[in-house]
Amino acid sequence: MSREEVLEKTKGVIFDCFPDLKDQELTEDTVINNETAIDSMGFVLIICKLEALFDVRIPERQWKKLQTLGDVVDAIYKRLA
Amino acid sequence: MRFDSFEQMLAHLAETGPDAPALRYDDKTLSFSELKHAVDARAAMLRAERKTSLGLLCDGSLDSVIELFAANLAGLQLVMLDASLDTDTLRTLIRYTDVDTLWGEEDLKEDLELALMGGVKNGAGRILFFTSGTTEQAKAVVLTDHSLCQSAWNGSAKLPLTPDDRLLCLLPLSHVFGFVCGLLWGLSCGACVSLGRGARHYLDDCDFYRPTAVSVVPMLLGFLLQQKCVNPELRLILVGAGDCAPELLRAATDLGLHVSFGYGLTETSSGVAISVQGDPYAMEVCPDDTITLADDGEILIQAPTCMMQGYYKRPDATRAVLRDGVLHTGDLGCFDEDGRLHITGRKKDMLVLSDGTKIFLPEYESALMQTLEHMELAVVLKGGRPALIYCGSGDASAVMEKLRPLMRRQPRGKQIAEVVFTDEPLPRTQTGKIKRWELQQKVMESA
Repeated sequence: MSREEVLEKTKGVIFDCFPDLKDQELTEDTVINNETAIDSMGFVLIICKLEALFDVRIPERQWKKLQTLGDVVDAIYKRLA
Repeated sequence: MRFDSFEQMLAHLAETGPDAPALRYDDKTLSFSELKHAVDARAAMLRAERKTSLGLLCDGSLDSVIELFAANLAGLQLVMLDASLDTDTLRTLIRYTDVDTLWGEEDLKEDLELALMGGVKNGAGRILFFTSGTTEQAKAVVLTDHSLCQSAWNGSAKLPLTPDDRLLCLLPLSHVFGFVCGLLWGLSCGACVSLGRGARHYLDDCDFYRPTAVSVVPMLLGFLLQQKCVNPELRLILVGAGDCAPELLRAATDLGLHVSFGYGLTETSSGVAISVQGDPYAMEVCPDDTITLADDGEILIQAPTCMMQGYYKRPDATRAVLRDGVLHTGDLGCFDEDGRLHITGRKKDMLVLSDGTKIFLPEYESALMQTLEHMELAVVLKGGRPALIYCGSGDASAVMEKLRPLMRRQPRGKQIAEVVFTDEPLPRTQTGKIKRWELQQKVMESA
């Protein structure tokens, strides 16, 4: 799977979890926690759904380092490769 | 039952219900006798190692619980560390608390080993919890297994569990609310404690463990309800460590759940007042505690059995809040006609988020001022999340961009979620202090 596909699927999960964000442009630089209405529990939800979707496991200690959408995509893509 | 120590508690439970399930983690279960045996064996090893201050990098696993009891039985000072903190912060906390040995994930231990110190004298029985774990001003609260056992009894006197109950521990054990209300509350009542398998299992831990009781912070309660994670056997939810919105409590009670709300501080080894029936916000004072109000409404607590020994190596900070056995909490409250306590606000410059995280405002705002090179600003809560009130005009995205390096170093819940520009100056007292309640009120009215 290409990195671009991971990005699109990740956006899809975010929009599924938070339909209100569909009007908001999400870029790789979007800081998930303070440029969207997603709080820390929302972030947990997204990561759980992404781990299930891509069948990967991102260690919990690293979750807080994932700030932007691009960080999340990188973390998943690295584990797919 | 009231216990004086962890050792007494474990011995009693192993004797009275040896085969009853004590702890469960994933598909592994330990009975009370197996727990005692594992703790005794590990304590013997720790005694032989002759260390004096153990930093426990808590991951909530069975082994971490065995380790914490064993360290206590072996006479080590136990320092409860939040393994999710960044390594620089953990190193600072390890140095401050004289930790000479670590328990936790091998990779993390390796990263932290250079920070190990020479240990302590007379640390037996001490268990240290951090009130604000993320800065050089972090304070470690010195509690003991005795004070924590008393706290567990104090709470269970108001809200008892039975050996047939299954308590789900979802909160980190490095937080005193998680430790007492997620672990000791259950064990001291002879109930089985199911240890949560981490944040990634928030969605399925209830379904997996089928608990009858759970302790949560408000944000986690919101998550469980929103995601419909509540199992049919669940009957009791204890909410603490933060302000809980009425609609959240209503949603839980609508499901037929009994919701109790607890008030307490790390300094009092967790809860001193708990709501038992009726209005969840009206809390009865626990039997060992006495609560009075100062003239300005500040909550003053006397908790002879559960009070902290003090802040570790911070006698000045201890004297500032604990005088003649009375803890000056900085919280504001009132009593209703039935003598039940209601929390009405906070006197000190602090915000408490719904996940229990505290933000010490002067320190946080000072960092924001330095980063933005702008002095007239303040932080308030808006929609439960930190919002920056910025006096003057500007572009919110530009402010956020400037803040980005600072925000990256903050825990997720503490990050500024919104910038609010205002033409008005901040409301201040005659001495120049920000009138935080007035500001908060304005923000809420304009929302």
